[in-house]
Amino acid sequence: MVISDEEKQDPLFLLITYHSSLITQKLMYRYIWLVPLLPLLGAAVNGLLGRRFRFSERVVASVAVGSVALAFIISLTAVISYGLNVWPKPYVTSQDGAFVYTWIPGGAVELTEGLSERADIEAGRLMDEEAVRKAREQGAKPGEPTAVFLVKPHVAEKRGTGSMLDVEWSYQLDALSSIFMLVITGVGLCIFVFATGYMHGDRGFYRFFAYLGLFMFSMLILVMGSNFMMMFVGWEGVGLCSYLLIGYYFDRKEAGDASRKAFITNRIGDFGFALAVFTVIATFGTTQYTQVFEQARTFPVETLSGLNTWGIMSWIALGLFIGACGKSAQLPLYVWLPDAMAGPTPVSALIHAATMVTAGLYMLTRCNVIFQHSQAMMTVVAVVGALTALFAATIGITQNDIKKVLAYSTVSQLGFMFLACGVGAFTIGIFHVMTHAFFKALMFLGAGSVIHAMHHEQDMRRMGGLRKYMPKTYWTFFAGWLAICGIIPFAGFWSKDEILWNAASTSYVPSGWLLWLIATIAATCTAFYMTRLMALTFWGKERFLEVRAGGQADEAHAQAYDEGRAIHAAIDPSVADRPHHGPEERVGAAHALESAARGEPEGADAHGHDVHDHHDPNEPAGQGHHPHGSVIPHESPPSMWVPLAVLAVLATIGGFVGISPAFAGGAHVGGRLNIVNWLDPVIWNPATGQFGKEPHAETSALQAHDKQTAGREAVRQEGSSAAPLATRSDEGHGGEAEGEAALPYGGESRFNLAHAVQGMLGGSHAAAEWFFIIVSLVVAGAGILLGFLFYVWRPQLPDLWAQRLAPLYRASFNKYWVDELYGALFTRRTMDAARGVYVADSKGIDGAVNGVAWLTRRLSSLTGATDRIVVDGAVNGVAGFIKLLMSPLLRAAQTGVTANYALVMILGLVAAVGMFFGPEIWASLKSAIGNIFAMLL
Amino acid sequence: MNSLFVPALVLLQDSMLDNMKQGVAHPDLSKFLIIGALLFAIGVAGVLTRRNIIIIFMSIELILNAANLNFIAFSRYLQETGSVNAVAGQVFTVFIIVVAAAEAAIGLGLVIALYRNRETIFVDKIDLLKW
Amino acid sequence: MVLSGWESFFFWVFALAALVAGLLTVMARNAVHSALFLISTLVSVAALFVLLGAEFIAGVQILVYVGGVMVLFLFVIMLVNVSAEERGSEELFNRPAQVTAAVCFAALLVFGLFYAINRSAGQFDAKVEEHVQAQRGTGLRTSATGVTKISEDTQRVGSSLYRYGALPFEIASLLLLVAIVGSVLLARTSRQELAADDVDPRVVSELSAAGELTPLEIEEAARAHAAEV
Repeated sequence: MVISDEEKQDPLFLLITYHSSLITQKLMYRYIWLVPLLPLLGAAVNGLLGRRFRFSERVVASVAVGSVALAFIISLTAVISYGLNVWPKPYVTSQDGAFVYTWIPGGAVELTEGLSERADIEAGRLMDEEAVRKAREQGAKPGEPTAVFLVKPHVAEKRGTGSMLDVEWSYQLDALSSIFMLVITGVGLCIFVFATGYMHGDRGFYRFFAYLGLFMFSMLILVMGSNFMMMFVGWEGVGLCSYLLIGYYFDRKEAGDASRKAFITNRIGDFGFALAVFTVIATFGTTQYTQVFEQARTFPVETLSGLNTWGIMSWIALGLFIGACGKSAQLPLYVWLPDAMAGPTPVSALIHAATMVTAGLYMLTRCNVIFQHSQAMMTVVAVVGALTALFAATIGITQNDIKKVLAYSTVSQLGFMFLACGVGAFTIGIFHVMTHAFFKALMFLGAGSVIHAMHHEQDMRRMGGLRKYMPKTYWTFFAGWLAICGIIPFAGFWSKDEILWNAASTSYVPSGWLLWLIATIAATCTAFYMTRLMALTFWGKERFLEVRAGGQADEAHAQAYDEGRAIHAAIDPSVADRPHHGPEERVGAAHALESAARGEPEGADAHGHDVHDHHDPNEPAGQGHHPHGSVIPHESPPSMWVPLAVLAVLATIGGFVGISPAFAGGAHVGGRLNIVNWLDPVIWNPATGQFGKEPHAETSALQAHDKQTAGREAVRQEGSSAAPLATRSDEGHGGEAEGEAALPYGGESRFNLAHAVQGMLGGSHAAAEWFFIIVSLVVAGAGILLGFLFYVWRPQLPDLWAQRLAPLYRASFNKYWVDELYGALFTRRTMDAARGVYVADSKGIDGAVNGVAWLTRRLSSLTGATDRIVVDGAVNGVAGFIKLLMSPLLRAAQTGVTANYALVMILGLVAAVGMFFGPEIWASLKSAIGNIFAMLL
Repeated sequence: MNSLFVPALVLLQDSMLDNMKQGVAHPDLSKFLIIGALLFAIGVAGVLTRRNIIIIFMSIELILNAANLNFIAFSRYLQETGSVNAVAGQVFTVFIIVVAAAEAAIGLGLVIALYRNRETIFVDKIDLLKW
Repeated sequence: MVLSGWESFFFWVFALAALVAGLLTVMARNAVHSALFLISTLVSVAALFVLLGAEFIAGVQILVYVGGVMVLFLFVIMLVNVSAEERGSEELFNRPAQVTAAVCFAALLVFGLFYAINRSAGQFDAKVEEHVQAQRGTGLRTSATGVTKISEDTQRVGSSLYRYGALPFEIASLLLLVAIVGSVLLARTSRQELAADDVDPRVVSELSAAGELTPLEIEEAARAHAAEV
């Protein structure tokens, strides 16, 4: 088709060609601003109109699911077109001109923090110039490495420089946020669909989906925002939604307490995060990621071995890490996550397994430049992660509530991810986030399906043999089980194995082998307790049927169980100081232990705590209401098992995006489809001082600068620590497999497990990697076998070993009394402080106020007397005077005739005009009169 | 907030005064001004002399129109002398018309209320304010 | 601003029309006549606006004043009983003080103007005249037919209004809103208030005691009040 020039000028033609080019070039990433907006709209429609117009469940569900599905489709197409057209550069909408909105406009910021670092950078620059000059003097050719020994000049710390802080509202699409967008909207979609089945019949159906949509919005803002302030908004938003959703069953005290606990615990983390954001603003004068990280890149690295061990970057990293600890439930601040299981199960799956709790990981990876600048903080992250992994895994072994087990498992897996970040394998951390989102969401939803089938029974001791009753749930759960245990080729294997390998071979932190050991033990525990969960839930005897036969389902026992659970919840430190240590406490955790020791059949009660039935007595018979006695579990409706099937497929094959190099000849196969390659552009490489391991075609323009920086680094290194230049330049290539041989922080090499193994196996890198793969498979298999031994082949063994290891068992069963410890250390001390403040307020401050009031009263009576006699006397005297003298005059003016008032107005106008222009008018008048006379005469 | 008012102030000042100082004037401008002045005077006379409150209102409208005429005439004049702010007069006129409309609405509402209560619209009958 | 040819002719026609109609507005005995004369004054002034190149204001004048405000005036005149007009024997300008003041004021204004014109007439600059003549009509675009020129007055007023006068503009809209609410409040009767159930029950009882309401209306008011409560 030939198009003439006239036709080309036609607006319609231009419009069509513009849009068709949009489609052919697949510029869908321009529409990412729709992705957070759609769930927000859905939430707004459901939340604001749902109650008023009494939306039916179908309407609410289609609005919520439809909005999220649309968001998922848009983000999928956006990520594809981004990957084809823009990757590895980040795409920021407002920088593209498509969407410009300065959210917090202009404020002058003084960059006061980081002065010493800035001075240091300036000194480095001066030294660089000096080195070039000297090299020229010595006759060196440009580009040729020269050894020039210099002393770093002293640069005084200047006054802070100013900066304008403009915070814009724009979305950044890059390698990292694209993964999170897909996980959040994709897994979220599955969970939304599941929730339409799970929450069926709930009175607050619209409210639930409004909260869930709001959460989606906040989470997407968190991961898609292009600056720290937007991340903070999302951070607080997801915290709020988490609070709302944990406390969804607000008529249950347990849920209310848990929601408050989650909120308050997260405040501690948010405090650290906020401080870190302030420090970022004070240091870099901006919050935009691209600008912050470009500056942070040039800051000197704070290593454990050198002189500069703790500086501004470490402080920022510390604040960020505290925030991440709170949100991602790491060791000191993890306590809220197990309690958060009081919320509905889809919430647990979406927020407390797949998305929100990984926000900390997102932040860590997003700020990996800052973290990698501080070896101390990398070490802290790794150690905290490893300890959390082990700690939570050991607790998970003894819990009986199916959701609690999964919650501790989540905490443990998050620990694995933190470990990965800490040992420098940020990409692997994100990989595990992704696979974990698949299999843990799957397991939570599977647990939800089980709970739904068992009419809100969550105690695993009253389940068993469910495989027969709900095969679809069972087989999907089976895939999740294999994935989390780390059985090849399920998704969990690939990421967990990579984490263990990176821990063993790391050179980012000292003593990586210790971390590897802890993580391996934790992995064994994971396999064990997950097998236990499978065995208690799906295999073995159908213990829920024993209710009638055993005759244990008496009302008293059910009552005791309920009370026991109430006390179980009362371990929550917020209520721990209430004096309720009555005799019925025995029915709590201790009671369970005793009965286990006596060998009584436990859990012979099926008094389901059925919230649905409680809320909606008119439920159809299929969802039957069984107030007492046993229930026959049933398979869940398609709206519940279809998402399970989708997630099961993902949990099975989802790991293939990150196939270990050992399987593929030492390289990350798949090009940019491999998650390690895909994420590479956002990861800072300390060896080159650039983002990404290998230079990309798109960044070739930066290469000149790149080399210059590397050269400067080399010279500076020489000047400050006098390390050989050759080592640095070798590291600059960074072509080896990750972690190996590259000493990102310099310093002497310590004992490295991977290197030792490599040495033993004849120096073959691949062999060493295979060794660790086999070890990880062996420990997973060992955990599973142990689980089979304890819960399938020899069911009497658990009780036996619980007795033999009673102290350990009690410690694990009571979660190491951390809640009690926090209660004693913080909660009760806070209450004491509050009481003290109350006393000080009621006695001291109120006393002072009352005293002042008394004094004021006395003074005021005095003043009142003065007022009456002196002031009133004067006023009345003047008034009387005026009354006598002026009133006849003023009275005469008030004729009450409107025309007179108008007359006075005009007279005033005449007077005013006369005053200003009197002489001129008089002159004019005179001449006019003169003229008239002249004419007459 | 300041920035919202500054343009309005700019609208007022500037070259208008300069042109006045230069004594640049024009006979045809004064024709319009005289017409405006006469209309104004007629309006004032109406306000002062009539008893019917509605006619007084109409006279006020006449006064406002005379002011409008002045504004427009000066606007045109400034425009021809090249002032950038010549349109200011027309903008002011728009606001005067708005105020006149509001005034008429309120005033006539008052008239109706008055008539309903006192059954008269003659201002000399309304003398409650008399002491 | 030099009026030439027909412009000058039309100026005199409309100026005289405006003045005469204005005088008649003030002098008419019948309020309806007065209003009609005012309309012709306003139209004449609008024509003067057109002569001055302010087409937009002329349009607004016709639409708002003549179309809106004057119709309102006429309605009100009808409402308040035309027969109550000043009739026959009564002298129109019957208040000497007011008449004197008005005449004084008019004289003042006219003399002031004469003075101003006298003073400035001597300083009139031929260069300005030249400049004005050169400027004349050159700023306007020619329309598609090539016969007429397209005035950009409305565009300039609009952009000026929204660029410099945005805040006053919004305030003016608020003023109009308040005026609407105020006039509605002022003008409605207690009966209308009753129909909208917007009146205190005590007032209802007072009105019914005064015999101003039919029993049916009282009953309706009570029912509406009960429904509201």
